[in-house]
Amino acid sequence: MDPPAGSVEPDRSGGTGSAPDTRYVGLATRTIAFALDAGLINLVAVIVGVGASLILSLLHLPGTLRTILAAAGGAAYICWAVGYFVVFWSTTGQTPGARMMQFRVLPVGDEQVLKPRRALLRCAGILLAALPLFAGFVRILFDSRRRGFHDRLAGTVVVNAPQLGVAATRRASIRAAHAASGRPPTTPPAMGP
Amino acid sequence: MSENHRLDPQDQRPNRRRAQGPLAMIAGVGGRAASAALRPLAAPASAAAEAGLTLERRAVDRLLESDELGRIVNAAIDNPHVQAAVEQALASEGATRLVDSLVDSGLVDRLMTRLFDSGAIDRLLYRLVSSDALWDVVDEVAASPTVTAAISQQGLGFADQVGEEVRARSRTADDWIERTARRLAHRPPRTLPPEPEPGV
Repeated sequence: MDPPAGSVEPDRSGGTGSAPDTRYVGLATRTIAFALDAGLINLVAVIVGVGASLILSLLHLPGTLRTILAAAGGAAYICWAVGYFVVFWSTTGQTPGARMMQFRVLPVGDEQVLKPRRALLRCAGILLAALPLFAGFVRILFDSRRRGFHDRLAGTVVVNAPQLGVAATRRASIRAAHAASGRPPTTPPAMGP
Repeated sequence: MSENHRLDPQDQRPNRRRAQGPLAMIAGVGGRAASAALRPLAAPASAAAEAGLTLERRAVDRLLESDELGRIVNAAIDNPHVQAAVEQALASEGATRLVDSLVDSGLVDRLMTRLFDSGAIDRLLYRLVSSDALWDVVDEVAASPTVTAAISQQGLGFADQVGEEVRARSRTADDWIERTARRLAHRPPRTLPPEPEPGV
């Protein structure tokens, strides 16, 4: 069940230099980020694929073996693509595309980052949401927290994570440390007599 | 030679002497008598003063050449009373006024100009750049996470500006697409959560 609109998400930046705010990210921004990630994944895959093809072209392998290698390459591509999202979501909560667009995937609840299992579930959710002509993503437009099918499946929200300046990052980390210790931040002593 | 030339110079003004009276005459006679009596002693006294001065200079020279002066200075610096007096003097308003007057007088500006014109600053910078300690400091600063973060943040330049624009437009597009979709579906617009505080 969705919380009332306007509910405030806790600050769970994890001290990584950016702080998520309470604004949930919409479809357009997430699509751009996904396109950037897809471009990066395919760029790496093409470079590796071209390299492998050049090497294999010198070996004169039989046709059957080429088919097996192509299937292995396809499996490696799927592993690479899934691993890309799972690793980034479960470590920083941001893929490179999400970092570029300054948002973060966070689990609903008290956890700081997504667990790999839930990240894998979210990955599968994206596939399932795309199957019926991307109908799973349409829900983002009508959900009070802009959650798609995959977000609801994995229990995640996508929130803004603006990159703070050096001084603001330092202040935020000091505030977070004080909040963790339960003591209010102390003001520096006044200069002079 | 006339009579006047043999007289004391003071006696060349007879009219004035007469005007001063007998007391002044008596005093003048006494002064001349004392001068005559002490004249033989003047030369030895002068020689003694000269010898005293020479002795004093030799003593000062010996003091300056010996280690004693350094010992005296060190003892004075180490003396807590002297240190307290210096601290008190530096903390006094007089010291502040002195510094203010030095700055106001333009002495500092002149000193800076002189230092730059003389090439002393150039030599200082050259020696600074040549020293290993400076490069150790540069290494320390360059390796600090704060500086690294600042450089990586500022180093993107044009790409960062483009990214900023894309982000702003995509957020606007988010809201626009959502509003349009909700209008088409006859759904009420989504109530936006409150804006976060800056820096949070």
